[in-house]
Amino acid sequence: MKKFKIQNSKFKIEVFLFLAFCILYFAASATAFADLTIKANHDHIKIDFFYHGSSVSVKGEADPGTDLIVKITSPEGTQELRKKGKAAGFLWMNVGNLDFENTPYLYSVHSTKKLEDMLSREEMDKYVIGYPALSRHIEITPVSGEDEKLKWFDEFLKYKESSNLYRSSSGKIMTSSEGGRQAYYILTDWPYQAPPGDYIVTVYAVKDRQVIEKAEANVSVEQVGIVKALAEMARSKAAMYGIISILAALAAGFGVGLIFRKGGGAH
Amino acid sequence: MNYMYLYLPVALTSINILIPVGLGLAVGLLSGLFGVGGGFLMTPLLIMFGIPSTVAAATDSNQIVAASTSGTYAHWKVGNVDFKMGLYLLVGGFVGGLFGVQAIKILKATGNADFVIKMTYVIMLGVVGTYMFIESLHSMKKAKKQSQESGVSSQESGFTKFLKSLPLQTRFEKSGVTHSTLLPIIFGGFVGVLAAIMGVGGGFLMVPVMVYILRMPMHVVVGTSLFQILFNCIEVTFLQAYTNHNVDFILAVLLLLGSTVGAQVGAVFGRKLKGEQLKIILAVIVLAVTAKIVLELTLTPSLLISQGGGH
Repeated sequence: MKKFKIQNSKFKIEVFLFLAFCILYFAASATAFADLTIKANHDHIKIDFFYHGSSVSVKGEADPGTDLIVKITSPEGTQELRKKGKAAGFLWMNVGNLDFENTPYLYSVHSTKKLEDMLSREEMDKYVIGYPALSRHIEITPVSGEDEKLKWFDEFLKYKESSNLYRSSSGKIMTSSEGGRQAYYILTDWPYQAPPGDYIVTVYAVKDRQVIEKAEANVSVEQVGIVKALAEMARSKAAMYGIISILAALAAGFGVGLIFRKGGGAH
Repeated sequence: MNYMYLYLPVALTSINILIPVGLGLAVGLLSGLFGVGGGFLMTPLLIMFGIPSTVAAATDSNQIVAASTSGTYAHWKVGNVDFKMGLYLLVGGFVGGLFGVQAIKILKATGNADFVIKMTYVIMLGVVGTYMFIESLHSMKKAKKQSQESGVSSQESGFTKFLKSLPLQTRFEKSGVTHSTLLPIIFGGFVGVLAAIMGVGGGFLMVPVMVYILRMPMHVVVGTSLFQILFNCIEVTFLQAYTNHNVDFILAVLLLLGSTVGAQVGAVFGRKLKGEQLKIILAVIVLAVTAKIVLELTLTPSLLISQGGGH
């Protein structure tokens, strides 16, 4: 009887431990699943001789019922650009420089819905999501006031969009439900105008006009082979690079001259 | 992978190879025909195709080294290069260039340098183009009359008399003219100053100087101008590569593939045209470029922001 009791209590403990384990396991795995995930495929872009841009796909999983934003940026810095204006009242020409501070060289934002329909202004500003938030984040000097700043920001956007370095879209992220989770996927063109460097891909999960989670991945762009060798030589062995460029041009000029003398005797 | 596109390591952009080869061919043709470097056409076209302005100007000078070598060689074969004159012009141009660079510094210190530079450029282009056009039209008519009347009219103007009174007179065999040594040096220097201020090679100024002031025959002008441009562009290419790291070797090679051939074709074609015909076509091109710049200055540009740096 006693033995049975002991066995019984042992059984109870085992059941208890099993149940506790199950609860902990599911709790743990539930939090793991609740994590927003991100993966950028083709995250190491190599610029070789025939490089003409690339494509990067970003995918991952999020909680069902959340809206998503995928933002790709380069680290922020200062860009010095020239501005055109009217000189002497009627002639368009460069009239000075503008410094754009806290400015990413590349910036693209893709969202499942229109940004203003899914996120509050405060949240957009906090995470620098969308052009209006970016316009408040970037410092432009010298400008006389807010109106002039906005005017030059709009011109800046036109300039950046014309070279595919700034982009904004909504509705291009594809989502599907997988095992109670929301899987997302977006394929973006990687512009050849984006220089070598490290880029950050961030996904934001949004609910009730607030960012509830974010996750990051990296994309690095690197020159390789002949492209890398020439770019490095132009910088670090400038004199030799200059001399080689001149000699090559002289040789080409003479070479073609000789070919024409041999080939084209009819003059 | 698309083999029609090449990546340019210094310009940091990708370009369809047909674009620079085609541009090279067209501008090289003009170079061989008229003895100009063609920077006034090539640099804006390269910028239009997405090459940063500083890289466009520097790489163009590298490409002109090849085109002008090819062109000088083609003209030299038929005895159309006056090396002696070219050398004096070079000396003047070199000294003038140094002064021009100082002049830019002074202009920049006084503010609105861009305005002065652009205005000088437009006015020079306009004046030179108009003068050449009218003059060559005149002499074409005169040539017709002369062939009918077989009259000789070589009246000496006051200016010509003044030139002949200058010291250090020397004979330039190839050009068949006698001038003071000072003349090509001074006018070479004058073109050098303006070219440095305007940031262009100055071929479009040097050609009229040789035709109208030095009175050289048009075909020798073309060859000698190319010879002179060759040395200028060697210097500029080196300085650009050494100090600004702006020369894109791959882009230069693509451009010269076209321009070296273009220069040969231009030289051959030019021999079939009369001096007056060459002058009037060049005048039309210079006037067309002037008109294009005037339009750019007056029409609202599509982008008000552009890449920084450069002059």
